[in-house]
Amino acid sequence: MRQPDFEVVQRVLAGETAAFDVLVRQYQQEIYRLAYRMTRSAEDARDLAQEAFIQAYRSLASFRGQSRFSTWLYRIAMNLCLTHLKSVARRDPAEVDGNLADQRADSLMTLLTNERDRALAEAIEALPPQQKATLTLRVHQGLSHKEIAEVLDCSEGTAKANYFHAVRSLQRKLQAFRDPE
Amino acid sequence: MTGCDTVRERLLAHHEGDLEAEERRAVEAHLATCPRCTREAGLLREALERVQAMPVPDEPPGSWEAFGAAVRRRIAGERPSRPAWWTRVVARLGGFSLLRPVPALAAATALGLLLAFGLTRMPRPARDLPPVEVLAISEDLAIGQNLEMLESLDLLEEMEVLEPLDILQHLDGGRQPRLS
Repeated sequence: MRQPDFEVVQRVLAGETAAFDVLVRQYQQEIYRLAYRMTRSAEDARDLAQEAFIQAYRSLASFRGQSRFSTWLYRIAMNLCLTHLKSVARRDPAEVDGNLADQRADSLMTLLTNERDRALAEAIEALPPQQKATLTLRVHQGLSHKEIAEVLDCSEGTAKANYFHAVRSLQRKLQAFRDPE
Repeated sequence: MTGCDTVRERLLAHHEGDLEAEERRAVEAHLATCPRCTREAGLLREALERVQAMPVPDEPPGSWEAFGAAVRRRIAGERPSRPAWWTRVVARLGGFSLLRPVPALAAATALGLLLAFGLTRMPRPARDLPPVEVLAISEDLAIGQNLEMLESLDLLEEMEVLEPLDILQHLDGGRQPRLS
């Protein structure tokens, strides 16, 4: 039977540092996937996921058990992803305008054979980072709006609005795809 | 409701099952008669389903072991920052499992007790009060002022009593008036 995350955290804090491995094994793929969906780069996602676990380990004492450990970990990982996206955008002004950086998008685009999926992938890439983060947390991680607000440090209303606007953008993309001018 | 704009604003909430029963029924009634909004709802559903199904490239075999090893290497020799003293105390008392459901209530109760104790036991702040010596003098002054006033009142009362007796006329004549 799986030990509750909070108890594993307590073991680590009590000095049993090897117990942190349990948390890494439990969440490494989820965090990697989250980072991948945000960055569209397997290499960046690996680095960011690793960094998220290092930061989580170092600040483990600040985890009070008031939220799920996964939510707390998502928050660390998502902050790293958003900071990473900002720095990438600063390096490459084309990305600020929402244009795809082909190199980063290649790995996903090779997996998408359907034109509509490709169109949606482009639309997601063009979303403002907060909307993209909200969409990812909602659709792929299955978080509630309240949990998303906690992860992104915003109000629940803002989380709902970001989700609404993100989905509407995707809808429009599909609509334009169906009704080419 | 239920114009097209209103319904379209609610399509996402409808898709996620977030609408109250009455609102849900109204949206569904509109969709039953409006092909354009039905088409919008279809696009929304399709978009979300396609996004949900978007794949993430698989990592090569063995990569997760390497991932774990890399994390272990980086934190080797490090300890997490020390938890606060109260966290350790709670952990010794059996962990947060007992307190977790009511942390806010427990904190509020503790704070309330502290405040109540503080308000009843601790002296009031003396910031706005004058020193004790000044208070003593001012009390004397106040009494003195009251005495002066009382004396004036006495005089007035006497005058009122004497007036009917025509005391002024007697005083003019140098005789003591009779008060009764």
